Amino acid sequence: MFPQFGATAESLSKASSLVFRIGTDAHLYDDPDDVSIAPLLDSSFDSEKAEALKRLLALIAQGEDVSNFFPQVVKNVATPSSEVKKLVYLYILHYAEKRPNEALLSINCFQKDLSDANPLVRAWALRAMSGIRLHAIGPIALVALSKCAKDPSSYVRKCAANALSKLNDLHQEENASSLEELVSILLNDHSPGVVGAAAAAFNSICPNNLSLVGRIFRRLCETVPDVDEWGQIALINILLRYVIARHGLVEESIMASSHPSENSDSRRELFSIPAPDRGSILVEVEPSEHIMRELMLRHYIEGPEQYSSRQIDAKEDDNGSNNNSYFTSIENNDVKLLLQCTSPLLWSQNSAVVLAAAGVHWVLASQMDMENIVKPILFVLRSSYASRYVVLRNIQIFAKAMPSLFSAYHEDFFVSSSDSYQMKVLKLDILSTIAAESSIPFILQEFQDYIKDPDRRFAVDVVAAIALCVKNLPSVAKTCLEGLLAIVKQESSIKHYGSLEGEAGVLIQAIMSIKTIIKQDPANYEKVIVHLIRSLDNIKEPSARALIIWIVGEYSDVGHIILKIIPVVVSYLGQCFSSEELEAKHQILNTVAKIVLSAQGEEHELFRKVLFYILDLAKVDLNYDIRDRGRMIEKLVTSQPKISHQEGILHVEPDSILLDELLKNMFCGKIQSVTGAINHFRLYLPGSLSQIVLHAAPGYTPLPQPCSLPEMALENRMSQDGIEAANSSDSSYEGSQSSYYDSEGSIPSPVDGENPDSGSESDVADNDHYMLRGANGSPDATAIGQLIHLTDTSIHDGTAKQSTAENNTSSATDLTNLMSKSALESWLNEQPCLPSVNSSADPSRERSSARISINEIEVSVKPKLNVLLEPANGNGLRVGYSFTSEISKISPCYYPSKVPTIVPMEEIDSLHPGDMARSILQVHFHHHLLPLKLAIYYNEKRHPVKLQPDIGYFTRPIAMDLNAFTKLENHLRGMFEYSRRCTFADHINIVDQEKGQSSLNDDKILLICRKIAAKMLSSASIHLVSVDMPILLKFDEVSDLCLRFSSEILSNSKPCLITVTAEGKCSEALDISVKVNCEETVFGLNLLNRIVAFLSSNSVS
Amino acid sequence: MLQCIFIISNSGEVILEKQLQGHRADRSICNWFWEYAMAQGGELSQLLPVIASPTHYLFQIFREGIIFLACTQVEMPPLMGTEFLCRVADIISDYLGGLNEDLIKDNFVIVYELLDEMVDNGYPLITEPNILREMISPPNIVSKMLSVVTGRSSNVSTTLPVATQSCAPWRKTDIKNSGNEVYVNLVEEIDAIVRSDGNLVKCEIYGEIQVDSNLSGYPDLTLSFANPTILNDVRFHPCIRFRPWELYQLLSFVPPNGQFKLMSYRVKKLKSIPIYVKPQLISSSGSCRMTVLVGTRNDPGKPIDSITIEFHLPSCVTSADFTSNHGTVNILADKRCSWSIGRIPKDKAPSLTGNLVLESGLSSLHVCPVLQAKFKIMGVALSGLQIDRLDVKNMPTQPYKGFRALTRAGEYEVRS
Repeated sequence: MFPQFGATAESLSKASSLVFRIGTDAHLYDDPDDVSIAPLLDSSFDSEKAEALKRLLALIAQGEDVSNFFPQVVKNVATPSSEVKKLVYLYILHYAEKRPNEALLSINCFQKDLSDANPLVRAWALRAMSGIRLHAIGPIALVALSKCAKDPSSYVRKCAANALSKLNDLHQEENASSLEELVSILLNDHSPGVVGAAAAAFNSICPNNLSLVGRIFRRLCETVPDVDEWGQIALINILLRYVIARHGLVEESIMASSHPSENSDSRRELFSIPAPDRGSILVEVEPSEHIMRELMLRHYIEGPEQYSSRQIDAKEDDNGSNNNSYFTSIENNDVKLLLQCTSPLLWSQNSAVVLAAAGVHWVLASQMDMENIVKPILFVLRSSYASRYVVLRNIQIFAKAMPSLFSAYHEDFFVSSSDSYQMKVLKLDILSTIAAESSIPFILQEFQDYIKDPDRRFAVDVVAAIALCVKNLPSVAKTCLEGLLAIVKQESSIKHYGSLEGEAGVLIQAIMSIKTIIKQDPANYEKVIVHLIRSLDNIKEPSARALIIWIVGEYSDVGHIILKIIPVVVSYLGQCFSSEELEAKHQILNTVAKIVLSAQGEEHELFRKVLFYILDLAKVDLNYDIRDRGRMIEKLVTSQPKISHQEGILHVEPDSILLDELLKNMFCGKIQSVTGAINHFRLYLPGSLSQIVLHAAPGYTPLPQPCSLPEMALENRMSQDGIEAANSSDSSYEGSQSSYYDSEGSIPSPVDGENPDSGSESDVADNDHYMLRGANGSPDATAIGQLIHLTDTSIHDGTAKQSTAENNTSSATDLTNLMSKSALESWLNEQPCLPSVNSSADPSRERSSARISINEIEVSVKPKLNVLLEPANGNGLRVGYSFTSEISKISPCYYPSKVPTIVPMEEIDSLHPGDMARSILQVHFHHHLLPLKLAIYYNEKRHPVKLQPDIGYFTRPIAMDLNAFTKLENHLRGMFEYSRRCTFADHINIVDQEKGQSSLNDDKILLICRKIAAKMLSSASIHLVSVDMPILLKFDEVSDLCLRFSSEILSNSKPCLITVTAEGKCSEALDISVKVNCEETVFGLNLLNRIVAFLSSNSVS
Repeated sequence: MLQCIFIISNSGEVILEKQLQGHRADRSICNWFWEYAMAQGGELSQLLPVIASPTHYLFQIFREGIIFLACTQVEMPPLMGTEFLCRVADIISDYLGGLNEDLIKDNFVIVYELLDEMVDNGYPLITEPNILREMISPPNIVSKMLSVVTGRSSNVSTTLPVATQSCAPWRKTDIKNSGNEVYVNLVEEIDAIVRSDGNLVKCEIYGEIQVDSNLSGYPDLTLSFANPTILNDVRFHPCIRFRPWELYQLLSFVPPNGQFKLMSYRVKKLKSIPIYVKPQLISSSGSCRMTVLVGTRNDPGKPIDSITIEFHLPSCVTSADFTSNHGTVNILADKRCSWSIGRIPKDKAPSLTGNLVLESGLSSLHVCPVLQAKFKIMGVALSGLQIDRLDVKNMPTQPYKGFRALTRAGEYEVRS
């Protein structure tokens, strides 16, 4: 209208928005990289850093990849400014997965922040640290988490609970048990906010460990109202699952009502729908509620195959017998409590909470009390548009299973013009489901208005819904038919043009609806059929005409009036055949054929004439389909026995009876409707995502099997929970470990197919300390091994000439402690007394355990040989490596730098097939977990390899006596102490072997000690301090067997103490608990994990 | 749990993305979403809130031209997704004083900081506006000026709000307010469906009690109604204690500071509507005469303000012209007509007359537009809900208490 004014207004608004933009970050978003970001990041002013980070954030927001700034950004994590810190965390978390190695750099800073006095800083650090998805971070984050789980600030504890599922996402099985423990701790928290977050973590970490809930069920129920809204959703879900698993379904509930007992007969009919003898009407009259309830039971509960795949009979028997055990009563205290504590949630402001609470009531509450949930969920319909749709989808299911529940509230489902098409359709479906005698007049009145809706798609659905209503309430059939006829009349008066396509749909649907209604009782609705026939002249839409013509054929023998008008109709059809569309032509052919076949008396001749007239026309039709059908019908009709009779041929062929039958079935059989569709309905728990998208989303779990959590198990679990969890996780841990620490697993695959054990052992013996060896599998190739670095092992064989001073001293101290077998015997007579960890310096003090020393332990200590290059990959060259505990002579010259460094080593000139060469490579690893990439050159070829550091050799053995050990251990208690449990099974074979040899000299327990000690010493560079052996009467049982090892970390000479305690039967796997005391948290934990890994892994021998 | 949140403008531009979990959701999902939205007819407000894309499940809400899109790959309560997005939209709009593309772009750092505090690992962390306000200060004119004058100023708080620790997370304990006052507002929306013959199909009121509390310390309030039985449905702010309501229909609560929605309620089966709208359509050979009369039906006792009648012309109408004896009529591009009346004059009944030209071939109009009425009545709660009294405990001095009421049209529809 006034373009110039519009332009002014636009510029005005621009100007005003400019004013508003002053002082915001607008310029940063608009031109994030108009200045160079890098120097700003290195600036010493916080404000400049913040600006740079904001620019980076703007680039992230716009979808650019700015991960190349990562190292510079990470540096800034140590800033004291909270704004910069927050921005850095935002950046790091966005890219942590992309740049894991650089993200590692920030770990130390996070750790520092974790002990900050400000809870907000602690929480940020924890969130950032756990957000870095890196396997190496796992153990460290776990420590941080366990610390934060006990934080005085509930906010930090809440963040810890959220972090649990982040760690769980890393799929580190070795952490699983500790995570579960933490979940249990946090679920027990006294702050409701933490409980809510813990419940969410529970759902993602151990959703099936419901016994964890059992102990605190009552308390959790009481906390529910105080938990924050999001936590409530997760928490009541757990509680519901627990109740079902523990007590089973509630007898009075809707879930149980579908159970066989009284209505088994009706169900049988429903489920055997395709049975030939069953009429369609019978099936349709069946209330669909029962099917829905049946389906609910089948789909809500775990293990649907158990319910669906079986035969119905079998199922009935089955359920009948189990009836009692599956059910509990509404009087059950737990059920009552849960229902009670979730009732107030129905008033929550949060629609998600309301729906979740309604879901609990839906499953558990008795049918009488179900009324409670109706008003709240209907009220949710008045909230945001998004929740409206989801709630309607759930109500749809509720209504199908229990229409009476909603029938009084039909007004709430009246369509408003602002609803989207999907919502209108949903409301319509619900309305036609819940329609009852009392409400149907109002609903039909509404429908009348809806038909005038400008959205014609919707009008079509409304017309279809009318038929549905009649199906449920046959009493309104008459009114509905009148209405439908009026629609037909009105619609047929409209000429259809391009933009009015939808109109044809309304007309067709109206006729279809009429068809569905009259099908139920054709004789009664004769007039309606006549009415339709009379409107044929006005209706131009081919599909609509085809439908009416079909109706004529189908009900040509019904009633009196139709019989009278049929001749006229048939003549009419004959007249207009040539001008019809394809669809209608088909129907005319069929209909007239049907009429001819069923007609009797004087009209018959007329019908035949018309038919043959039509057939003649059909033969010359443009459409081949019509021509074919015409010919076929002609053939069939002319070969009809009755006809041949008239023509004077008297013999009736036996075939013709069959043919007659066939014709009758083809043209005169009444249609049977198939209502099996409802069986393919998929149902998911109310309020779930799967219910909305109609397929099981990943992570969807139905309710657990009723009563799958027996009471006994529960009580047992209470006491043994921790242990069992630890055990189960350990066993799985072993499995994964072998693939993770690949190098170990692949040892027993030697080049030349020798017996693996003897092969590697003899190799080691032959080669003295030369751990690096090249062997050539293909005889005629010469290999040149090069550039492998070693930080080698040397705790092995007694022949070790080059072992270091430390190693010598360590064996020397071993010897000082050495006692003979007879010494042990002498201890056996001592009376038992306590503690095994004793600060007393005197080794001769009275105690129940004997301190022994193991001689010749070195013999059984084998170096750990890792494979660097497999012959298969290395063209026949095999390169192995192991670490020595020897201290590098040049080590002091290398102070820590960012990059791992390698001391150059000389080339190996040549290597003959089968030969081995050894050399020492010195490497400075930057981190005890990160592998080093190397390349081996031989035969002019480059072979990239990865050298995995072994944390066991990042220590050096230090000699100390028990006295010093215990003293040091007492200093390193509390947060410097980490322990884990695992099982040890290596000794079983040996013990068995010994049995066979019936060697009397060797004690089984001693053997075990030896075995454990050997394994420890061959996997880590540590010193065996002492072995405490229990004195027990039973010789085949071990308890409190305690081995102590000492070492110090190479890089900073901090002591690191290891205690291994074993328990169990000699002939079975032992329970081992490993404890590490070390000031360096991260290192200690990783070492602990490593020790547990190799102890629980099956040894090569 | 939620994997990622995108904020998308109504032209399909991704304004910002916030990854919530370790495994990132690629931005390409937005392209898929946009294509889907266009394929659905491009009406953004009518899109389904939960969409299953080939790779992700999407939750979306559309607010004032901005789409908030979240995606997940695992089962989670869909309402939790959409409800959370609503909360995000509310809070961002509250912080920025509205929602539009430019506002979000201009304050993207704040939006990022907010999102980071609101959600942790895809799981809602803090959604309580009062706590968020303490953690991240909203932009205001002072801070803007300050940042212009002094360079930069941080809006990130260095201390953890005390309220995160308490069992009443909506209130910090040590609030000191200079004002000592509390206002209670009844804001009601009247939903009605009227048939073309003037019969009332349904009429109900959706109401909210909005409280603006500026009280120091830790006050304990009790609000009672004169006629609580008329309340059909209720939903409460978490601060309301359940027991007193169950037993005595009393609202007993410790209020958050500032404005908040104390409860929402519904009163059903009302019998009277304040204004009548009478549409009349008479078709004759290819055109249709439309008249609409508007007037007061049951005088609420207070003036009815800013009355507007809106309706969509059916697609089979090719052209239309309207004249009214009061107010102005606008026909917008998408065949939406809006007749703004304002107040009903005393001397005459406003009427609208117009001639609709139908598509050729149609002799009469077979579909009927639905008229929506908008209006506002100050000072009246049409549901008849009456506040009996408001008791304030735990306060040294009695605060000033104010009560107000307002009724406006919600889904007020008249079928023709």
